Amino acid sequence: MFLQPRQVAEALEARAKYGAEITPLGGGTDIVVVLNRQSTGPRHFLDLSRLENYAAIRRENGCYVAGGGATFAQLGRLEVKALSQAAMTVGGAAIRNAGTIAGNLGTASPAGDGCVALLAIDADIELSHATRGRRVIPIHEYFTGFRRTALVADELITAVRFPADWRTAWYKIGKRGSINISIVCCAIGMSPRGNVRIAFGCVAPTVMRARQAEAIIAKDGLADASIEAAAQSAMKEVAPIDDHRSSASYRRAMCGVLTRRLLRELRQDAPRAAGRAE
Amino acid sequence: MRNGDSTHQEPQAIKASPPLRTEPLVEPSSTPYKELPKGPVGRSERRIDGPEKVLGTALYGADLFFGKADYFAQVVRSEKAHALIRSIETGDALRMPGVVAVYTAKDMPGTNRQGLIHRDHPVLAEDRVLYRGDGVAIVVAESERAVRRGRDAVKVLYEELPVVADFDDALAEDAPRLHPDGNIMGGKRIRKGDADAALSASDVIVSETFVTQTVDHAFLDIEAGIACWDGHLLTLHVSGQWAHEERRLTALALGLPMEAVRIITPATGGAFGGREDLSMQVYLGMVALKHPGKTIAMRYSREESMRARHKRHAMRIHYTIGAMRDGTLTAAKITVYSNEGAYASTGPAVLRKAASHATGPLRIPNVYVDVYGVYTNNNPTGAMRGFGACQMAIAYNGMMDRLAERLGMDRADLWKQNLIHSGDAVTTGQIIPIATAVECLDAALRQYRAKKQHDRPLAPHERRGWGISVICFGLGYGDGFPDASRATVRLTPAGRLEVYTGGVEYGQGLLNMAGQVAAEELGMPFSLVDVIWADTGRTQESGSSSATRQTYFTGNAVKIAASELREQVLDIASKLLPVHPHELDLHDGKAVGRFNPSLVVPMAKLIEEGRKRGYSLEASGIFKPRTVCEDFDTGQSPRSFITYLFGSHIAQVVVDMETGEVRVERYVACHDVGKAINPQSVAGQMIGGATQGIGMALMEEVVMDGGVMRNANFTDYILPTFRDVPTIETIILENDDPGGPFGARGIGEPPLIAATPAVLSAIGNAIGVAPHTTPCNPQRVWELLYPDDAQTPYAARLTTAPPHALLSK
Repeated sequence: MFLQPRQVAEALEARAKYGAEITPLGGGTDIVVVLNRQSTGPRHFLDLSRLENYAAIRRENGCYVAGGGATFAQLGRLEVKALSQAAMTVGGAAIRNAGTIAGNLGTASPAGDGCVALLAIDADIELSHATRGRRVIPIHEYFTGFRRTALVADELITAVRFPADWRTAWYKIGKRGSINISIVCCAIGMSPRGNVRIAFGCVAPTVMRARQAEAIIAKDGLADASIEAAAQSAMKEVAPIDDHRSSASYRRAMCGVLTRRLLRELRQDAPRAAGRAE
Repeated sequence: MRNGDSTHQEPQAIKASPPLRTEPLVEPSSTPYKELPKGPVGRSERRIDGPEKVLGTALYGADLFFGKADYFAQVVRSEKAHALIRSIETGDALRMPGVVAVYTAKDMPGTNRQGLIHRDHPVLAEDRVLYRGDGVAIVVAESERAVRRGRDAVKVLYEELPVVADFDDALAEDAPRLHPDGNIMGGKRIRKGDADAALSASDVIVSETFVTQTVDHAFLDIEAGIACWDGHLLTLHVSGQWAHEERRLTALALGLPMEAVRIITPATGGAFGGREDLSMQVYLGMVALKHPGKTIAMRYSREESMRARHKRHAMRIHYTIGAMRDGTLTAAKITVYSNEGAYASTGPAVLRKAASHATGPLRIPNVYVDVYGVYTNNNPTGAMRGFGACQMAIAYNGMMDRLAERLGMDRADLWKQNLIHSGDAVTTGQIIPIATAVECLDAALRQYRAKKQHDRPLAPHERRGWGISVICFGLGYGDGFPDASRATVRLTPAGRLEVYTGGVEYGQGLLNMAGQVAAEELGMPFSLVDVIWADTGRTQESGSSSATRQTYFTGNAVKIAASELREQVLDIASKLLPVHPHELDLHDGKAVGRFNPSLVVPMAKLIEEGRKRGYSLEASGIFKPRTVCEDFDTGQSPRSFITYLFGSHIAQVVVDMETGEVRVERYVACHDVGKAINPQSVAGQMIGGATQGIGMALMEEVVMDGGVMRNANFTDYILPTFRDVPTIETIILENDDPGGPFGARGIGEPPLIAATPAVLSAIGNAIGVAPHTTPCNPQRVWELLYPDDAQTPYAARLTTAPPHALLSK
């Protein structure tokens, strides 16, 4: 079965009807890889790539609202630094033209670059059902385990809302310059009021935030000593593993390095960014 | 099915570096070829196979399927690294719709053995599997979908045996025996002078253990082909790199006379040694024999290709080198353990090449080398660009960096003091008449220093460094192995020049090389040349397209054939003109009087007259130089390789001192190729080799874990992209080889061999700690920088080093 509806409402009905039996397909950049590798992948697809108004990104009350079908290429053009840089480090040009933000959130890989960036700016995720309607959940409640999320099998991710005015920073360590899978990636966001979010990919079963490190910054600001304390704390909070991409000890150390580096970058950007915001 | 590389579309990557020069820098030669070529030799003639490859009309293995295949075949591969096969249950598979047959080793008509040196590798496993990728059964079906389902439905019952995962497992006293003679496949020894005495008399001794990784060839054109048996002849169209050997081995495994097999190599996208061992030839042939008249098709996925194919040898190299205080090298003692994987493949030859290249272009009077190949339950390891010499280049270049630091000397000065010059001998005792290592190093240094000022400012956490490598490489099989190329040239009634060679064009430029040599010799315009290649029904054996040998060997064979044909043509001309043949010359498609240029006969007329007068207008040539087997006890030989190539690379890197990320900023590659028959092709080989070497230095690594490959795909087997490779500044030196066609040597492997150590040397220079393990991915560089934080198993690996490797004075 391969359904290719044109309207979001039709897609939601199909999803409500078939539930887990049908796999929503965005750009296919994860699924096609699975299908190529094994003959026992999913069989039935709900292709969302032809939906009307599903890929649009609009601005609304100081926020961006991106449809689930927004591609990495589209996100790469936004003025949210961490998200646009994260989007531009996903795959090559062809992958970025196909891969969608809903796909990234749906796969919920711990190495999902888009997920890390959104986690650092307190994004809200809109999940919709044909009859139950929409519900909006904050992203930090969305990831529930390794490739498990709050998305119920009869729902679709219809939109993602995130602030446009946060200052953000991004860094991804991989083994090469492009088409790169993260060994560790880090996004840090700072709201205009000064709330800091420190998010990591590839260091736990899900993308994660270093909440104690955030609390240190919230309490003591961006002085050198508190940045150092936050970096030390981040290294303790993460739970990386050894695998074929890297060792746990390297990943853990990098969480400290990136926390330090990106917080300093945010501190340096502060006067200029604040000037723009006033 | 072929993998596109989307980085081509990234404008940032192109903006970051200056535009690529199309013509390489060519330095004037100190020994110029006396009669300068007047025709296509030395010109970057357009690629014969260029238009069809650019337009996408070239037919690669997988392009042959459409509308032609009756049946599709797939191999059931072992899921165990080491196990006995208890039973193979094919019933479920045979009941799948569309499945035609399932075959196992019992159905194999011939010896069921393959292997380039030892015939030790069952094509289909008989009672035991030795790596996770060994073929166990073949499924035949009417469609690709059905064949995949059939393959997944074959149930193999294994009795698992302990897995020999690494050197240490294999050498343990209670290790399971993987082959009847034990787990040591073989070895090679060099004994020159008295290394022990010389080491103890040295002022300085430096020891290090280098660990190199397993590398995959990662050619883009995945193995694919078709086969048909018409009752008399088995015709195979399969991508490969040595059609005639594939024919012999296929016939042997299938129990057919050699004459009953014809191999036609389709357009082939890359090989790098990865197509030297048989891939699917026997599988396809066997199925074709069972289904006469049917066309059988087969193709691997990327994962199957990576799991099935042999790899580059991972090596552990214990290196001890001694020097006097003034920098003069005195002795080297080297012990190498090489991971052979499950079967021998070309391993024995790789070991011998590693031993004979253990000290590269260095002049060291006392050298002991011991190389051992060790069987494990990993993929077999065999031929790959560099062939043992590239692992050793990492080691001897690394030792020179360490020694320079210990002695407080400039690296380039230390190199120059110890490089062989023309008339000196390499470690095997062979005297090299034209050794241009110093010239290569000087040319690379000049180019590097001339443009040094463009470096960008660094961030506080970054360090910049640069590194040198100098290498030598003996081309051809060498070591007494019979090595010959044959070629035929023919003038057709239509006035075209046909060149026949058994060599395989897989992208390297063989067709242009052969065509340009023939056209030069016969004074024909290159546009009139056609090359017919790698078809055992139409061409003669020209050896493998490997070992950097085709330019030297096939180039010479073509030249010999063409010069004989030239005599015929001049003889015809002398019948038409009132002059002796010696007073005539061939150029621009005409016979012209040497002393009276008004005497002219066009080639078309000569061909017409020749045919009327009963000339064959066809000639064949064989080039078969002798090499001398290296002595069993000492490794010494007066002529182990037919000739040697020299090269030097310089890399400049920026290292992030916190994350360990390395970026190659600048790259200079210089090789002495004797004569660049097609300079653009030569530069292309240098750029490609450097790129592959940068990949080996920084990121490429097959991760084996208890016999299981963890990254059998391009998501996790990381190859360099355009962003990882700067403009490769190429310098071609042309010091003629006395025996090469128009003075040419070759270029295939050396650029890769020189690239990896140059990058490692640059990293060491930047961070102050010399790398010993490849690849230097961010984690490894970070472990070098912060050894206390890293829980690396490196220290554990050192425990089995032989005592001399732990010496330090």
